[in-house]
Amino acid sequence: MAALRLFRDTWRWTFRGSLRRQSGPFARQLYEVGNRSVVFITVTLGVLGMISVFQVLIQVERILPEFSVVGPAFIQTMVREFAPTIAGLMIATRVGSGIAAEIGSMVVTEQVDALRLCNADPIDYLVVPRFWACVIQTVLLSVYGGLVGVCAGAVVAHYAWEIPWGTFFSLNLVGYSDVTSGLWKAAAYGMAIPIAASQAGLETSGGSEGVGTATTRAVVNASFCVVVLDFIISGLSFMLLLGK
Amino acid sequence: MISFQNIVKAFGPHKVLDDVSLTVPKGQILFIIGTSGAGKSVLVKHLVGLIRPDAGRIYLDDVEVTSLSEMALYPVRKRCAMVFQHSTLFDSMTLLENVALPLRKHKGLSTKQAGVDAMRRLEQVGMAEESGQFPADIGDGLRKRVAIARALTLDPEYVIFDEPTTGLDPMAAESVDSLIRELSDRFQVTSIVVSHDLRSIFKVADRIAMLYQGKVLLDGSPADFRATTDPVVRQFIEGRPEGPMVFPRKS
Repeated sequence: MAALRLFRDTWRWTFRGSLRRQSGPFARQLYEVGNRSVVFITVTLGVLGMISVFQVLIQVERILPEFSVVGPAFIQTMVREFAPTIAGLMIATRVGSGIAAEIGSMVVTEQVDALRLCNADPIDYLVVPRFWACVIQTVLLSVYGGLVGVCAGAVVAHYAWEIPWGTFFSLNLVGYSDVTSGLWKAAAYGMAIPIAASQAGLETSGGSEGVGTATTRAVVNASFCVVVLDFIISGLSFMLLLGK
Repeated sequence: MISFQNIVKAFGPHKVLDDVSLTVPKGQILFIIGTSGAGKSVLVKHLVGLIRPDAGRIYLDDVEVTSLSEMALYPVRKRCAMVFQHSTLFDSMTLLENVALPLRKHKGLSTKQAGVDAMRRLEQVGMAEESGQFPADIGDGLRKRVAIARALTLDPEYVIFDEPTTGLDPMAAESVDSLIRELSDRFQVTSIVVSHDLRSIFKVADRIAMLYQGKVLLDGSPADFRATTDPVVRQFIEGRPEGPMVFPRKS
C-alpha cells in the first residue's frame, strides 16, 4: 500500500511541475541510470543472445535440420520477452540497489528530515527525477539490449551454423503486438523499479545495517515486480491477441 | 512560546518519552540534557513534525502542531529552524545551494536572489570563500557552521540545536555558544538546545531540563542544578560513571 501511495504521489508531483524544477537532478539521473548501465546491458544481453541461439540451434539440428525459422523466432522472443525482462532485471539489480542505498543513507543521516524542514518534499526532490529517468532509460536500454542480443545471436548462427545473415534477420514473425508488448513491459518495469527501490530507501531505519537491509529489499522487491509484471502483461497481450 | 503537553512516544515496546511536559517562554534558552538514548532528540523533533507523538499535544504559540498535515507544517517549519546533530548538509549540493534551498522553497525566491542572500549568510559565518565546495570537501566543524547558516537563513523565531558543539574544537564551540546567546539577547529568538556539553550548558542556558527514564527529572535554572542533591542529576553533571543512574538501552 505504501508503494502504491508513493506511485500516486510521484505522479502528483510530476503534474505539479517537479521535472521542470528538478531538471539538473533529472539529467544526472538519466546519466546514472542510462549511460552507466550500457556496458552491463551490452555484456548481459550479448552473452544471453549467443547462448540462447547456440542452445536452440543444437536442439533444432537434432530434430529437424532446418534453420530458417530460428532467426525470426529468436527475434520475436527477444522483442517480446528477453530484451525488456532481462534488461529490467539488470536495471533492478544495478539501479534499484543504488537508489535504495542513496535514499537510505540520506534517511539515516537525517538529510531527508532536513529536506522536509526546508519545505522540499522528498518525493519531489528525490523520487520524481529517479522515476522518470528510470522509465525513459529502461525503454531505451531494452531496445538497445534487444539489438545487441539479436546481433550477438546472429554472429553465432552465421559463423557456427553458416546461416545466412538475411535468413536470420528476417522480421516476418515480428508483429505489431510483439513490439507494443515489449515496450509496455519496459515502461512498466521502468516505473516499478524506482518505486520499489525508493520505498525501501525511505523506510530505512537504523544505521549502515539498515541501509544494507534496505538495499537488499529494494533488489528483491524490484526483481519480484519485474517478474510479476512480465506475467501480467504477457497474459494481457496474449488475451488481446486471442480477442482479435 | 513553545509548550509540550504530556508527550508520550514509544518505539516498539520501548517507551522513550513518558508524559513529558515542558514550556519554553519567548526568548528563553532551554537546554535539554540527559544520557544518550534518553529521548532528547526525539522530543525536539516532535516540535517540527518530524516525529508524531503517541499521545499529548505540542503548541507553538497558538498553533497546535501535533494535528497538522505535512503541508500545514510548512509555515511552522519556516518559523522554527533546526540544526541537526550531524549537520545534514545535502551531499549533492554546494554549500551555497544548501543555504539557498530554504530561501527558494520557503520564500519562493529565484535561484539568483536566493544565492545572493545565501552568500550573505555564509559571509556571516566566515564560509563565503568555500561557497562553491561540496560538504564532503570540508571538515565537520565547517559543515556545522554552514548548517547553522542554513538554519538561520529564514530569520526564525525558534531554533532547535541538536548537540551543536559536538565534534567542534573549543574555539568553534565557543563561537556557537556566543551565537546562541546573541540570538536570544539581540533578536529574542527562543532556543532549545540538546547538549551533553556541561561547559556550554552552565554558560549559556537560561533554564535546564533533564530527561531521565522518559520523564523530566529536574527542570530549573543552572543554579538549581548546581544546588540539587538529587543523586542522579549530581552523577550526570559531575560526569561520574559510578552512581545510581540506570543507562537506557538503545531503541
